[in-house]
Amino acid sequence: MAILTILEFPDSRLRKVAEPVTEVDAALRNLATDMLETMYGAPGVGLAATQVNVHRRLVVIDVSDARDQPLVLINPEIAVLDDTPRDYDEGCLSVPGFYEKVARPERIRVQALDLDGNPFTLEPDGLLSICIQHEVDHLDGKLFVDYLSPLKRQRIRQKLAKLQRATA
Amino acid sequence: MTTEATEATEVRAAAARVVAAVAGGESLDAALPREAARVVARDRALLAELCYGTLRWYPRLTAILDRLLARPLKSRDGDLRALLATALYQLEHTRIPPHAVVHETVAACRALAKPWATGLVNALLRNAQRRRPQLDAALAEDLAYRSAHPPWLARLLAADWPREAEAVMVANNARAPMTLRINQRRTDRAAYLELLAAAGIEARPATHSAAGILLGSPRAVAELPGFAAGLVSVQDEAAQLCAPLLAPGQRLLDACCAPGGKTGHLLELAPDGAELVAIDNSRQRLALVADNLDRLGLQARLLDADAGAPETWWDGTPFDRILLDAPCSATGVLRRHPDIKLLRRAGDIAKLAAAQRRLLLALWELLAPGGLLLYATCSVLCAENDAVVATLTAARADARPLPLPGIPGAATAAGRQWLPGTDDNDGFYYALLEKR
Repeated sequence: MAILTILEFPDSRLRKVAEPVTEVDAALRNLATDMLETMYGAPGVGLAATQVNVHRRLVVIDVSDARDQPLVLINPEIAVLDDTPRDYDEGCLSVPGFYEKVARPERIRVQALDLDGNPFTLEPDGLLSICIQHEVDHLDGKLFVDYLSPLKRQRIRQKLAKLQRATA
Repeated sequence: MTTEATEATEVRAAAARVVAAVAGGESLDAALPREAARVVARDRALLAELCYGTLRWYPRLTAILDRLLARPLKSRDGDLRALLATALYQLEHTRIPPHAVVHETVAACRALAKPWATGLVNALLRNAQRRRPQLDAALAEDLAYRSAHPPWLARLLAADWPREAEAVMVANNARAPMTLRINQRRTDRAAYLELLAAAGIEARPATHSAAGILLGSPRAVAELPGFAAGLVSVQDEAAQLCAPLLAPGQRLLDACCAPGGKTGHLLELAPDGAELVAIDNSRQRLALVADNLDRLGLQARLLDADAGAPETWWDGTPFDRILLDAPCSATGVLRRHPDIKLLRRAGDIAKLAAAQRRLLLALWELLAPGGLLLYATCSVLCAENDAVVATLTAARADARPLPLPGIPGAATAAGRQWLPGTDDNDGFYYALLEKR
């Protein structure tokens, strides 16, 4: 087990599009374990491989209050069932300390592989649905700040740069 | 992805881990940075506030807690006890809305992997609010509750300072100002006050230290103009009064020098060509002294040694000035180091006094005739101050305490005791001894 380093906006590596996972092997399971530990320690409710500079389609999630229901999605695919948007205050471990409303559809269907390589389907709602969409965006090189106005995005970029200088 | 709720919860859990570590014997300086690294940058000020505040009022908070708990928590639930103390602190001393305190504290039980405690925590915190008047009445005579000091210390203070003890304890529970000392080799006080004003930092000159400046509110040192260039250091006004008592000296010894605040001040005031030997028995803390002196552009001979065993390090040439700022109970600086309320035990005082006597008697032999030794502590306890100096004056006919007209505070048998808070200062003891 290990805590991995999380890339921070505006690091250009967060913009890479991740490659599909071709084989669910021990190395991938180790990576998922490390990502979960990193996510719990951060603390966050979701983490995509892209954020720890591994450009493969893998995300880990736990939205439970007790922090005891880890979920691993490999090669996740999202289908929108109802495109009525819903606002949710999102934050991101790669944009630490900022929360902004983002509108996303809530009713989706997700298909993915589990850690044994078996396919499964989910129809999540609430925070889990939002979180899965947020993490799958990461795999496509997309961040929640991309949904904000350029002005807001610029302000976050500047504040973050200041914080990064202060803690460097 | 993160949510704001997970962050707010994490800060409470981190504060509980810090307070539990201190209750278990670890210093705040060690425990706080470890947890601060785990919360996001903008929550670090809140984390520090929760830790300092809870520790400052800990004896009172735990007195309340023990009244509210139907039966004591198990020893393995020290983190839960600490979490509840941080919650009571927030209810009593902050403007965080009570419902938010209860909600975050309950959620933090889960973050501490103790989901079974959520019901208990919820009920206890609601009781704390509802039963507030009865609790106050029931605890009115409880010494720990009234003073927010460990009872043994409250009793010791009352014995040493019958008239002043109450005020001393009130001062110990207050927040300390951030006080600066200008480096007179690089700037002067008027010029630096102007620099602060230009930077929009409110400040005023200190009353008793010619080099002292009190800031209106604490700042990160990185925000202070010219800090990296050595224009100023952070040092309480009481500590700033030490070095001037020993100026000017040609061959100086700073016997327990870390972290180097007074070492720097001694050198700032020393004439060109003066030589200073600075000793500490912690190599790690000596590195701090070296950093401090580098920043100030000053040089000393730093020795990693036991000042009380001169045969291991002394070259035989006497010193004409010696500063013995002895390791002590730090009971004069509780407002800056509230963890001392938990860390110090009644039995420590006699052990500290024995170590202080050993240092003073050993270092006296290194002082040249006509030379001066300043014995100083940040303790307010007689056993570590006058009583230690009395051992020397009884044993050595050539030791003569000098009056200290420029030093504020109360004259004691051998020196002066400046009690904390009289001028927004730390508590400090000074005895200036001349060798005949």
